[in-house]
Amino acid sequence: MSEKRRDGAWTEAARNDEVACGLPKEVPHPDGREVPPSVISAAPERIMGMSATVSAPPVSTARLAARGVTVRFGGLVALDSVDLDVPAQSIVGLVGPNGAGKSTLFGVLSGLLRPAAGSVLMDGEDVTGASPQLRARRGLARTFQHPELFTSLTVREHVILGYRVRHAKARIWTDLIDGRGFRRAPRAEVARVDELVDALSLGDIQHLPAAGLPLGMSRLVEVARALAVDPRVLLLDEPSSGLDVRETEELAATLRRVVSDHGVSLLLVEHDVPLVLGMCDQVHVLDFGIKIAAGTPAQIRSDPAVRAAYLGEELDLAEDPGRTDSTQGESA
Amino acid sequence: MLSYLLAGLALGSIYAIAAGSLVVTYVASGIFSLAFAAMAFTVARVYYALNTEQHLPILVSAVVSLLVFAPLFGMTLYWMLFRHLRGRPMLVKLMATMGLSVALPPLVELALGHITSVTAPGLAPRPLRTFHLFGALLNADQLVTYLGLVVVLALGVGILRFTDIGLKVRALVDSEALTSLSGTSPGRVSLGVWAASATLAGLAGILIAPTAGLSAESMTLLMAAAFAAVVAAWLRRLPVAVVVALLMGVVTTVVQKYLDPASSFTAAVIPSVPFAFMLLFLLYYAVRGQAGDHAAGGALDRAISPQGGDPTAAPAVSSSLKGFKPGTVSSVVFVLLVATLPLVLDDYWSGLAAAGIALSIALLSYTLVTGEGGMVWLCQITFAGLGAALAADLATNRGWPSLVAVFVAAAIVVPLGVVLGILTIRLGNLYVALVTLTFGLLFQTLVLTQDPFYNFGSGIVMPRPSFAENNRAFAYLTLAAFLVQGLLVLNLRRSTAGLALSAVRWSENGARTLGISVLQSKVLVSGVATFVAAVGGGFLAMNFQSSLPDAFNPFLGLVWLAVLVTLGSRSILAALAAGLLFYLMPSLFAAYLPTDLAQVPTILFGVGAIALANHPEGAVAQNSRALSVFLARLRARGGAGEPEPVFAAPAAASPAASPAAPAVVVARGADGTGLPEMRDLTAGERT
Repeated sequence: MSEKRRDGAWTEAARNDEVACGLPKEVPHPDGREVPPSVISAAPERIMGMSATVSAPPVSTARLAARGVTVRFGGLVALDSVDLDVPAQSIVGLVGPNGAGKSTLFGVLSGLLRPAAGSVLMDGEDVTGASPQLRARRGLARTFQHPELFTSLTVREHVILGYRVRHAKARIWTDLIDGRGFRRAPRAEVARVDELVDALSLGDIQHLPAAGLPLGMSRLVEVARALAVDPRVLLLDEPSSGLDVRETEELAATLRRVVSDHGVSLLLVEHDVPLVLGMCDQVHVLDFGIKIAAGTPAQIRSDPAVRAAYLGEELDLAEDPGRTDSTQGESA
Repeated sequence: MLSYLLAGLALGSIYAIAAGSLVVTYVASGIFSLAFAAMAFTVARVYYALNTEQHLPILVSAVVSLLVFAPLFGMTLYWMLFRHLRGRPMLVKLMATMGLSVALPPLVELALGHITSVTAPGLAPRPLRTFHLFGALLNADQLVTYLGLVVVLALGVGILRFTDIGLKVRALVDSEALTSLSGTSPGRVSLGVWAASATLAGLAGILIAPTAGLSAESMTLLMAAAFAAVVAAWLRRLPVAVVVALLMGVVTTVVQKYLDPASSFTAAVIPSVPFAFMLLFLLYYAVRGQAGDHAAGGALDRAISPQGGDPTAAPAVSSSLKGFKPGTVSSVVFVLLVATLPLVLDDYWSGLAAAGIALSIALLSYTLVTGEGGMVWLCQITFAGLGAALAADLATNRGWPSLVAVFVAAAIVVPLGVVLGILTIRLGNLYVALVTLTFGLLFQTLVLTQDPFYNFGSGIVMPRPSFAENNRAFAYLTLAAFLVQGLLVLNLRRSTAGLALSAVRWSENGARTLGISVLQSKVLVSGVATFVAAVGGGFLAMNFQSSLPDAFNPFLGLVWLAVLVTLGSRSILAALAAGLLFYLMPSLFAAYLPTDLAQVPTILFGVGAIALANHPEGAVAQNSRALSVFLARLRARGGAGEPEPVFAAPAAASPAASPAAPAVVVARGADGTGLPEMRDLTAGERT
């Protein structure tokens, strides 16, 4: 089972254990109850409801890519020619201090911001001018640094809406005529929503309105909503912020399953550097809008530019002694 | 030509003062005041009382009304209302200022008396002196108006740019939070801003009175025209607002040189000029894809701004239909009570009750567009009026059955709402409010008060269906129609479209990245609301047995909205109660109280909307919450061994700790007021 240290880092041993053994046998619930293993570990398709497991190695064409993305706010260059690839079935991390441009890059990738220069590609196709809705239809989903929940909807309704947007979008029109809103929801929808609610341990609050939820819960609701649309690429903006160690651990396990079993690609913005280094296949480091490094977690750990510009002493806390001989990462 | 130009510059100067006042107040206080017209009327009425009624000299009257009364008036309004609106959502700010615009004019008339004379002297001595300038004629009123604008601009720019006070105001515009951290009291600065705002409104009111008349209506027309300049200025660019306002004035008068003054076409073109400007800029923004509503303040302000407090921020109805909810019981009881009204009332009062129920149908359009969509549409009454006129035309002139005519007419009106929605929704809620009010006024002037619809005010005859000709039968027909329309609202609320609408309403970014189109969702509800409003108009016409165009005046539309939001903009039954109240309360006053108090109901309706500043959920939801709390306590006492309601903040923290938590959770107010807020999770508040 994975272990998260007090500073939020997963030990490499724990990470390797996760990768080698798959999912934990059982995960205790925050309130002390045990969640049935079947919900957490069995039948991944049932949990995430996605198509067959993807076992092929990542293809060369990235699911999501940024090419020379530049964003200016007046005289401020928020992003300066940033390149980034999110390959299939991988977890890519994006770290950097406050103001580095991480959320701006998320805005560009999800279509909420238009770059001044550069392009965004999905499966090799240019989507720079495409709306957020169009990108969502192509399989892009995201969460936000400040959760963007729908205040008057219940937690469950968030997931239901996500599910229907993906699987029954015509209902936006047809419900008005056939009055299906008054009828029992279809079994497939109920089952899928139940699974997502259970997987993120939202069962106890599923009928509460989203208004007033604590930050950690709000993040989980956002993740559940994003997963309900069966994304191919999921952008997560500081998903562990507001979660305690156990909740973070559960979320990380869920996300890993999504990646390993369903081939989803994750792009993760995190302030919790040890968490990113412990979880990601690739890590990109931004500083003042410039990508200063990219590589495997081991490469990032030993990158002098990163050490000098950002990580500093904190890196030592997360450093795995067994990985100090790793090769130098790509530095910008 | 020069004469037209000079007259146009005078009109443009008044527009510029009004638009400048609206822009400065908005950027400095974050409140877009729909009460501008009412404030202008109040100060202008005080000036009229001093100058015309008390025969005081112009200078004394002007100094007292503009430099003493107006600032005090502005500060009083700030102290009583506007300070409570700081940090509130746009919707609450608009509603509360709209309430003020409804309550203030009758209150002033109650205090100072009703004036029958439509024109009033301005700031120039009577009889008006005239001057010759390069062969063109210029009167003293026009000269005073130019001077007024020059003084306002010089003082405004001087104060804002070169004084310490101006620096503080500009700091407040950028970030209220940071300004207060630097030792400046935002409250004190706002007090000054509102004092200045009332003075400018008063000046514009006094200056427009000689040509447009001294009435709340003429001031509202002035405000609507100024809205065009404000929209052009993107709500916050003062120089653009002033230039566009001047240009509008000039175009309005110069086109008259080329038009036949006697033709109806001219009569239609002149009031359309501001709207044409507005439309032009709307299209320009639509093409450029610029969004409108900017969050005021800086990052710190946004970070610490209280969430919620929206009049329609009620928990969603559970998707489960199981269980018998207390809300359902009270709803059924209320509907049964209304159903008994035609039985126990005589024919006159039954007729009024039927009118109230018919109005309730139209009010449901606000329930949809404001309660569900979170938008302020101020032209629903125009859709109702058009529905009434078209239905009457179909029924009387083309021989269609009345009920069929009502629904077909409503369907014909729908594209109007859809197009307006497409033009404005992308720009933001504030634009929706400004544009719809201007559109309503224009449409009333151009269409509803013109023949063949007007017919000297009596409109077109609209027969009732043969099976419901008497008041009692018609009241039941209308109640049935209301219930059907209510079901339509309920269906929308429970549908996927309703979920999507809630999504776009609370987080556009969240919705868009989920794949939901903001425009599509909001236009959808706008279309349905337009239909419902027009059906309501058709039923009102059947009730009056005429399309009665004057009953659909946009000013009255503000009162409709005020009544509805007072009782609750999200509750279907609140619409029913509001419709009945609108017709029964004034008649009760007229029947049993002195005629002097005839305007009191309107004042109360306005005050009710103003109260939204502190109780955004409306009276029905507020009282049903109180009732739910009471019932929950009774249940908790009665059921031995049952857990007490969990008092926790935030609410959601509790369920994980206590899986057996009761259905009723009392949470700290989401509006940041710290007041306990009742959330009954099984009893839907939206009844």
